[in-house]
Amino acid sequence: MQHLDPEHHDGNSDALPGGLEAERRPGELAFAILMVAASLGLLWSAYGIAGFEALSSPGAIPMATTAVMLISSILIVLKVVKLPLTRLETLAKDILPPVILIFAALLIAYGLLLTTLGFLPTSALFLIVAIKILGRRGWGWTVLVSLGSLLLIWLIFRIVFTVLMPSGIVPEAEFIQYFRTLFAGDPAQ
Amino acid sequence: MTALMDFLTVFTQPQLLLLVGLGTFAGVYVGAIPGLSVTMAVSILISFTFSWDVYPAISLMIGIYMGGVYGGSRTAILLNIPGAPSAIATALDGYPMALRGEAGTAIGVTTVMSFIGGFIGIGVLALAAPLVSDFALTFQPRDYMLLAILGILLVGSLSQGSLVKGIFAGALGIAIGAVGRDPLTFAERFTFDFQILEGGISFIAVMIGMFGVSEALGQLHHVDKDAVRQKISRIVPSLATVRKHLPLSLQTSSIGVVIGALPGTGGDIAALMAYDHAKRVTKKPSRPFGEGAMEGLVAPETANNAAVGGAFIPMMTLGIPGDAVTAIMIGALFIHGLNPGPMLMIDQPDMFWFIVGCLVMANVFMLIFGLTGIKLFTKIVEMPRSVLIPLIMLLSIVGAYAVNNSITDVYWMLGFGVFGYFMRHYGYPLGPVILGVILSRLLDDNWRRAIISEREDLGRFFEGIVTSPLSLVLFVSVILIFVSQTPIWAKAKTRVFGRKGEQQ
Repeated sequence: MQHLDPEHHDGNSDALPGGLEAERRPGELAFAILMVAASLGLLWSAYGIAGFEALSSPGAIPMATTAVMLISSILIVLKVVKLPLTRLETLAKDILPPVILIFAALLIAYGLLLTTLGFLPTSALFLIVAIKILGRRGWGWTVLVSLGSLLLIWLIFRIVFTVLMPSGIVPEAEFIQYFRTLFAGDPAQ
Repeated sequence: MTALMDFLTVFTQPQLLLLVGLGTFAGVYVGAIPGLSVTMAVSILISFTFSWDVYPAISLMIGIYMGGVYGGSRTAILLNIPGAPSAIATALDGYPMALRGEAGTAIGVTTVMSFIGGFIGIGVLALAAPLVSDFALTFQPRDYMLLAILGILLVGSLSQGSLVKGIFAGALGIAIGAVGRDPLTFAERFTFDFQILEGGISFIAVMIGMFGVSEALGQLHHVDKDAVRQKISRIVPSLATVRKHLPLSLQTSSIGVVIGALPGTGGDIAALMAYDHAKRVTKKPSRPFGEGAMEGLVAPETANNAAVGGAFIPMMTLGIPGDAVTAIMIGALFIHGLNPGPMLMIDQPDMFWFIVGCLVMANVFMLIFGLTGIKLFTKIVEMPRSVLIPLIMLLSIVGAYAVNNSITDVYWMLGFGVFGYFMRHYGYPLGPVILGVILSRLLDDNWRRAIISEREDLGRFFEGIVTSPLSLVLFVSVILIFVSQTPIWAKAKTRVFGRKGEQQ
């Protein structure tokens, strides 16, 4: 099956995984080799579980699957190595452009700050920075949209789905309790 | 009689009815907004509905699923970007119709046909699942094992891209699913002596990472692309149009149910096969196929919605998912303490009939929301990606955290998100990974049970396969998939079918 739309070959929908049929994308070979190395490491680790002790040992399926991984990843490398490198794309432009790196960094920063700062401040910071970078609009618009959508998400998930996020420095529980007492007499909650 | 009562549960409780409606509504839009997908929505929602009762949670997710399968066709028609794998074939004739300014007609026909297909699928599910589950009780552990392998292989080989990459992805998924302490012997597997790995990797984290964050990262490439504006006018199709295409839609619905019911094949394959079928049987299409033929729209849309009902058959009776979305639905049932398989049908038939009821309701809601609110729809689809992408990322993080209240899951999720981003770019399908993760336990347990019952003797194991008709069929199918990817097969095929065999 050919890709229907050449513009979307980088897999921007579940329906169309990326990759090029007859060419090698930048970094593809390195990724394929990395997969061989990873499979090898996992196979070794799987062997360490129980060795060749028994067909029903806990290591049997892990060893079989990692062996399959190793073989298939080697086949992929052999195939990829033969393909000509595409001339239309570069690693810095099409695979890892600055915006992707920035967002990866933002996500990691989010993960690190979440436990200390708490959900609301971290998310507010994240949304403001992210929407500012992507939207390239004024600060007023950015802050308004970010805080508005954060409030909406918080209301839905904290109240409707009762998801507890780390509260961090914001006294969330007290805040909700305050409102509850305000609308006292509602035994549903 | 109790079955009828369980079936009607959803209709008698306004709260559940509301949730199905809400889910369907959300599903239609999630499927229709480029950058959001059903797989993404359901995997994020699993974690949010975690603390709910089973019934409301299932109602919401079934609504999203049904709505999403249908909603994917919208972007296929309007933007030529299938919102879900099952809408790939819809784009072939839907987009040309939109280019001619017939987007409204296309959406209307799609909606009605999805509705018809959906009903046929559900009907077959209700009739066939009890029979299949009785039959499934006779399955040996080795049959389950073979079915699991077959499912992963089919997803890998039939999705776009190469089979080798699909196999790699499936094996990777099984390996990820094996991380942690082995439930039978308590031996550590792939833990590398890290305590953090002993409990295994949460499959929700893997799902959200692969379908949420990696998709959002991929979308960053297209931030500046404007949404396409389309003037959509009349969308309710005339009765004559519907009647004209009814015979075709019945045929393609049956294709959809059958394909959907095979483990490992879901709506996407069904839609493509139905499209092929329509091409063959339609003598006089309204326009040539590929240039906006109505038949080219009717066929895939009836088939993929019929496949929803079909896909629930192996999922509910065997615990084997048909595609990535059903794999996630199985994950959802797991989370709520249900174990899809023949025993579920016997122990908790109420759950089965409740799900059937939800599907029926979701199908009706889909028709209603599909034919109304077109103004609102165009507004929502134009939501700027600069806001959408950060929100998806935020929701993914919240979702990954919410299941176990653990920050480790968030790191896993982010890790798999980045990994999935690379996999997408280099053409590795993500569906088999999820299928592998979900089926890992089932595969492992059944292999060990099978081989222990044969006293660790491989010879006896294969003898068992050869002497049991069911095992033999499954085994031969597995072998056939491998053979079908080798040059020998391609040669034989071109000889038998001529040039037509190229499509696969």
